[in-house]
Amino acid sequence: MQEPEATIYVVDDDPLVRDGLDSLLRSVGYEVRAFASVDAFARHTRPQAPSCLVLDVRMPGPSGLDFQARLTAAGDTIPIIFLTGHGDVPMSVRAMKVGAVEFLLKPFREQDLLDAVAAGLARDRAARADAAFGAGLQERFATLSQRERDVMALVVTGLLNKQVAAELGVSEITVKVNRAQAMRKMKAATLPDLIRMADRLGLAANR
Amino acid sequence: MKLGAAGRIEKPLLWLVITALSAAIFVADTVTDLEIAFAVLYVAVVLISVRTARPGAVMLVGAVCAVLTVVSYLLTRFGDPESGLANCGLSLLAIGATTYMALRIEAANIAARQAQAELAHMSRVMLVGELGTSIAHEVSQPLAAIAANGSAAIRWLGASPPNDGEARLALERIVEAAGRAGDVVGRVRNLAARTPSSQGPVDMAELVQETLALAQGEIRSSQIALRTELADDVPMVAGDRVQLQQVILNLVVNAIDAIKAGRADERDLLVSLSTDGEKITLSVRDSGVGLAPGSSDKVFDAFYSTKPGGMGVGLAISRSIVEAHGGAVYAAPNYPNGAVFGFTLPIREAKD
Repeated sequence: MQEPEATIYVVDDDPLVRDGLDSLLRSVGYEVRAFASVDAFARHTRPQAPSCLVLDVRMPGPSGLDFQARLTAAGDTIPIIFLTGHGDVPMSVRAMKVGAVEFLLKPFREQDLLDAVAAGLARDRAARADAAFGAGLQERFATLSQRERDVMALVVTGLLNKQVAAELGVSEITVKVNRAQAMRKMKAATLPDLIRMADRLGLAANR
Repeated sequence: MKLGAAGRIEKPLLWLVITALSAAIFVADTVTDLEIAFAVLYVAVVLISVRTARPGAVMLVGAVCAVLTVVSYLLTRFGDPESGLANCGLSLLAIGATTYMALRIEAANIAARQAQAELAHMSRVMLVGELGTSIAHEVSQPLAAIAANGSAAIRWLGASPPNDGEARLALERIVEAAGRAGDVVGRVRNLAARTPSSQGPVDMAELVQETLALAQGEIRSSQIALRTELADDVPMVAGDRVQLQQVILNLVVNAIDAIKAGRADERDLLVSLSTDGEKITLSVRDSGVGLAPGSSDKVFDAFYSTKPGGMGVGLAISRSIVEAHGGAVYAAPNYPNGAVFGFTLPIREAKD
């Protein structure tokens, strides 16, 4: 039903809730790994696959929110769905502000949880795709020659070839050739594509 | 402050005293001259009967004394019958008046005991209220487990082919969770119920465990490290289970509050139970804000409170409960910070 490599991590110290979540998510077809504490989860090496974390807020030891802060500080962007036993509004606001997918009140409805998990996975997939796109851009940009980079940086600001040539002190032909090379190497079909890529690479800021 | 726990144990002895004294007075009254108003001493018997704490018993003793007085008068052979009649009348008057007063005293005692029980109950309900949020969490936890496992079971059964093994496991977890939720509800009900005071053998170690289970949610959410040191040679004590639980819970809740108000890095709670053969000692040690200097004597006084919103009732009631059980309460500073509160109870042969 779901793509098999997507993994849902469940962290809850209550064995009945933990096993229940594990069973429910597996029954829907997810790959599930369940842990009794955030430390056990943190020690686990996660494979590079879309995932999300279902986390109980109130547990002995570091609280769910502290753990979220720890993950964020470490650059870990795994989407988190918080479970809580009581409606603590300030706590949920704090969690949502720092990027929680959902804050579910126990006992929660099955559909709310499944929706939240689906949303979390979608967010992680998008983040991964985006990261992969960014990494691909960097790779392709690295293959550009210095002249091609200079031309690209100026072209994306909206300057005409003639203006770019004047700016760089080269012929318009050279600009045309380097511009075509840059577009080919960056795999940009149109100028707007190239502008978006430059934006993502932060080229505009360099100027 | 008596909660009607003491006194009952000596009841057979009390009746023996009443009977023996009445018989002695009756014999003395019968064999002496009619002029000697020995029957007035029945007044003492009536006053002793107040200790049975039952108005019916007081009335009965008064009536029996009156009858004995008249019978004595009729049996006595010596002395002047006229002054004997006067003496008999005066004695009856004295017995009647004393019985009436004794009944009034008893009624006042009953009212006082009821007020005391009401106050103790109110304070228990307040304790439950204080733990309300975390008790709700304790219930919502198994409910979450039931919901998740129930959904899972339905899905496993609906799969093709149905996965009976997984469904069965989920159903077993539901049963376990339902039992746990029931336990939580039962514990709260026991504590909040308006129960008449009862005497029975109480397993203190078990009572401590059950009480800590009630406060478990609060301890967890306050991120307190709880330790227990319960000696396994602690004998049963005679007492009222609900009242003793109230005392323990009161000390634990106070300790939690003190820890929450104290330093964030030290959050330790130690509950220990031990015995030296003559008495048992229960102590609750916390790393919280501790006692104000010189306040160890005052903390058990009524209406003394350091908590914002505290009424100063909990510890006062705890003390009266412990003292009614023949024990004593104590409070002392803990090292390096915090306080230790506890009580001792004498080990008695537990009746029935």
